[in-house]
Amino acid sequence: MNPLARHPRLALVLRVLLGAFFIYASLDKIWNPAAFAKIVYQWQVVGPVPSNLVAVTLPWVELLAGALLLAGAWKRESALVVALLLVVFLVAAGSVVARGIDVENCGCVSVTQAESASSWPPSWTKGVGWFLVSRNLVLLGVALAVAFVPPRKSPSPPASR
Amino acid sequence: MSVNWKRFILILVTGAAAGLAWNAASGRGFALGRSVLVQAGDELVEARDAKRLLDRGALFLDARPRDFWRMNRIPGALSLPEDDFDRAFASLEGPLRRANGIVVYCSGFGCDASHIVARKLRERGFIAAILNEGIPAWEDAGLPLDSVPRS
Repeated sequence: MNPLARHPRLALVLRVLLGAFFIYASLDKIWNPAAFAKIVYQWQVVGPVPSNLVAVTLPWVELLAGALLLAGAWKRESALVVALLLVVFLVAAGSVVARGIDVENCGCVSVTQAESASSWPPSWTKGVGWFLVSRNLVLLGVALAVAFVPPRKSPSPPASR
Repeated sequence: MSVNWKRFILILVTGAAAGLAWNAASGRGFALGRSVLVQAGDELVEARDAKRLLDRGALFLDARPRDFWRMNRIPGALSLPEDDFDRAFASLEGPLRRANGIVVYCSGFGCDASHIVARKLRERGFIAAILNEGIPAWEDAGLPLDSVPRS
C-alpha cells in the first residue's frame, strides 16, 4: 500500500474532516426537522410517514457518528456508520437521477430553500445530481479508509541511555 | 482490523432514539404519523374522488407556477399559483364564488403549494379540497391531463 495513505497525520486529518462534515451536515436538519421531512419526501424514495421517521432520526445518527469520529472514539465503527449512510444516500440519489426527478435542494447540509439572490454556491451543488453522487463517492472512500486503513505507527524515539 | 458490531448497532440505535426524543420533547418536533404537509383543517381528496367532483362541475385550481399550468393541467383547471396568489386570486374571485366545489392541486411529493393555496382560500371564506399527491396521483389513476399549451 502507498505509504502516504497510512501516514498518521493524513489519517487524523481525514477522520477529523469527515467527522466535522457530518456534524455540520446534521445541525440544520436537527433544528428544522419538518423542513427536512419535506425534502426527504421530495426524493420520492419512501412515502410521507417513513420520510418523517428518516428526517427525525437520520441527522442524530450523523451527529453522533461525526462526534465520535472527531473525538477519536470507536473510530472504525463510527466510520462504518458514516459509510452505511453514504451508501444509502448514493442508492437513493442514483434512483432520483435515474427517474429524472428534479430535487432543487438535496437537504444534505442545509434545509433552507435555494432562493437566495446570490448565485453562490451554484444550484447544481445543492440539487440531487452527479455532483452529489461524486461528492458522496469521495466521502465514502474517506470513510472506508478511516475504517480499514490503519495509520502507520509513528517511529518511537530512540531510547535514551 | 475487526469491527465491533455491537458498537456499530449502538451508534445507530442511540442516534435514532435521540432523534425521536428530540422530536417529542424539544418543541421543534412534528407529528410523525401523517404527511408533514397536512395541517389541521386541510381536507384531502383522492384522485378518483376528485374526478367525480370534476364531473359534477367542481372548479380545479392549479397551484403550481403559471408556466407549469401553461404546459399541462387537469382539464378545465384555472391557474392560481401559490407564488402569485394575491394577484391571481383577484382575477378569479368571480369563478370561485360561482364554483360548485373547489379542488386545488400541485406537483405532489413534497409540493405544499396546494396546501398553502387551500389555506389562503379558507382564510377568505372558500372551502377547497386538496388533491392528495397532486398530478402524479391523477396520472397514476389513469386520468388525463390537458397538454395543449396555453399562453
